Amino acid sequence: MPNVREAKNMLSKKGVDFGFILKRYDIEAENQNTPESIAKKMLPKDAVFKNCAEDVLYMRFKDIGKTVTEALKSKKPLEIINEGLVAGMEVVSKLYADHIYYLPEIMLAAKTMEIGIAVAEKQLGGARKTKGVAVMHVAEGDPHDIGKNIAAVMMRAAGFTVIDLGRDVLVDDVVAAVVKEKPFLVTGTALMTTTMSAFPAIAAKMVAKGIKIPFMSAGGAVNREFSEAFELGIYSEKAPQTPPIADKIVAGYDWKKVQAEWDNIVRGV
Amino acid sequence: MAITRYTKMAYDKADDIVFGTAKHPVSYGFGIKVGAGRVIPELNYAPRPGKEKDIALITKEYVDYISQDAVNRAVTLGFPDLQLETEWISQMGTNSKMAESIVSGQTALLEKMHDKYGINLAIRHTIPDQREADQGLRPKMDKERSYPERLIISAEIAAENGAHVLSCETMGGKELLDYGVQVGDITACLFGIGYLGSLDMSWVWPQFVDICKKNKVVPGGDTNCSGANTSMFMAGGYLDNDVQRTFSAVTRCFAAARTLVAWEAGATGPDKDCGYEGPICKTIAGKPNAQEGKNCQCAHADLQGNLMAQICDVWSNESVEYHSEFGGSSVQCWLGSLGYEVSLMNTAIAFGKEKTLRDLYMFSDRARGPEGYVLAYDNAYKIGEAIVAEGKDLYRRAKAAGLTGAKIIRDGNKKKEIMLTAKQKDVLDNIIKTLEKLPDEESKFVDYCLKQYKDVPAFNPKNYDL
Repeated sequence: MPNVREAKNMLSKKGVDFGFILKRYDIEAENQNTPESIAKKMLPKDAVFKNCAEDVLYMRFKDIGKTVTEALKSKKPLEIINEGLVAGMEVVSKLYADHIYYLPEIMLAAKTMEIGIAVAEKQLGGARKTKGVAVMHVAEGDPHDIGKNIAAVMMRAAGFTVIDLGRDVLVDDVVAAVVKEKPFLVTGTALMTTTMSAFPAIAAKMVAKGIKIPFMSAGGAVNREFSEAFELGIYSEKAPQTPPIADKIVAGYDWKKVQAEWDNIVRGV
Repeated sequence: MAITRYTKMAYDKADDIVFGTAKHPVSYGFGIKVGAGRVIPELNYAPRPGKEKDIALITKEYVDYISQDAVNRAVTLGFPDLQLETEWISQMGTNSKMAESIVSGQTALLEKMHDKYGINLAIRHTIPDQREADQGLRPKMDKERSYPERLIISAEIAAENGAHVLSCETMGGKELLDYGVQVGDITACLFGIGYLGSLDMSWVWPQFVDICKKNKVVPGGDTNCSGANTSMFMAGGYLDNDVQRTFSAVTRCFAAARTLVAWEAGATGPDKDCGYEGPICKTIAGKPNAQEGKNCQCAHADLQGNLMAQICDVWSNESVEYHSEFGGSSVQCWLGSLGYEVSLMNTAIAFGKEKTLRDLYMFSDRARGPEGYVLAYDNAYKIGEAIVAEGKDLYRRAKAAGLTGAKIIRDGNKKKEIMLTAKQKDVLDNIIKTLEKLPDEESKFVDYCLKQYKDVPAFNPKNYDL
């Protein structure tokens, strides 16, 4: 840290080698690629789909409605969703994985995609068929829901329908929602050790009703050991891990198989 | 209790501020003196999952296991002082009998151990703010669970049953902060933390101070754990990629203008350890500052573990779940870690070397990340000056804090003192431009935000009398 004007009386650091003290790995590993350079390789070739994908990629949520409306003149709604909007979101996911895009870009791109999908779905005459329904909630007594909200956006962006029960949700309300919505997955988030006790209670009530879908625990207080210690229990350490785990469940994995192959499923995420 | 805004600094210059000494020391509990020439270790803990199932079980966990283990280890290792902190579990906030049992049980144990060994002991109770913005933050708004009423009841229970210090992590403005962090909107964060958070604290804290006065309890202070810490932990370390660390550093500066409100309402310190904005607040008010860093790795990994000790008066482990470790229970192990660090600080004071150790702590992390950079005591002092220059205007002072912090980072980067990635720099430049464009008048800013953020989930202007 050379050339610093120190506050009067502060210990002098003249001659100190700060390389012994810290290493800025974030500076050294900085990705020099740009969104444009990655997008060039991944965006659809068809001009109409490309326009839709670029609106998602560059988070043009004010323009996407118009772009999709224009696209509907020459393309089918499902094609626009899958080959335009979702294709754009796939580029965004790649940029996030490569540390070029960050959370705000993911959230705004997902918002853009959802606006575009809603416009296309109007032409379909109803909601498109998604990969499946997930019920998500934050434990009773716990007001911290930002992690669940981010995971919900990532799940929607990955093609799932999310029933978001919100925060501070009673055990019986979660069970009732599972009975009603028939999801393939339930998630619970907790930041406190004494609120996460609700998760095995919910899972036990589901089992008593003959419901054997996985229950995913997540959040600051939760660890893998706790999450996998009860019947139906699986774990997600962070929001981006939720969609790949969900993909495995819709592909036929039960909670025991997710537990057994968890390391492989979330590797690199 | 009237609120008196800070319009001048407690210290003439940054160099006057050291750990262990505050302009306005506070005494309480069984012999504890904070800010009076030595640093006090503060141990925080969480019970094992499942112990909340009945009152006897959870009381035993807190009193017979956690508190007893901690005091035994403090005596075993020869620590002269120990402060406990019970951050209430949510069940204590809704079950008065559970809360009464734990609060009275812990204080009775501390008194007994103080009498037995002469060790100085005290306990802080941090009550839970369970209010939900969509249900309503003020009394009579939350028809379902009455959380605003429960917040005040919790303060009374703590104060009436033996707490020595009362603290709270209030949640006002969190809905805007959560939104702002997720979409990278710095104005939403300024509105959420700096303005709405300050308004909410101006409503909550005079009530806490009155309750404390009535019961001869010390009103400690607050923290922006729900806001700036959310931002900081999402910014994370060098392998994380959610929020830019320049962004989180600026939210931290906003938080200083907000957390100060508890002290303006009559709280005396020590404030809450997890409020990393504490160093800025101490430069302004001179009240004792609780802090956490290197010895709280059981709960938080941050990029300023040494630096945070630079001017603290109470040094905390943040929180650890009670369980067994090779060296004893987890609370004993982390108290050992805390207590020896405090011993080093107090040795430095005894040898007249506290400024040397302060600077070593600070230099260790000054360049590790932008948040530590703005919290380095010389920079914290400059941000404090920006706040008091606009001290009477909640909006202008929070904006001034953020803008000053952002420019400190920008200038530090130009001088090559703090390195930034291109993305961090880009975000920082946009923050400066955005904040500079905001109106000077509070009313114009509020009008703009009410319109701009009217659709943010859970935001209800009535929660803040707007």
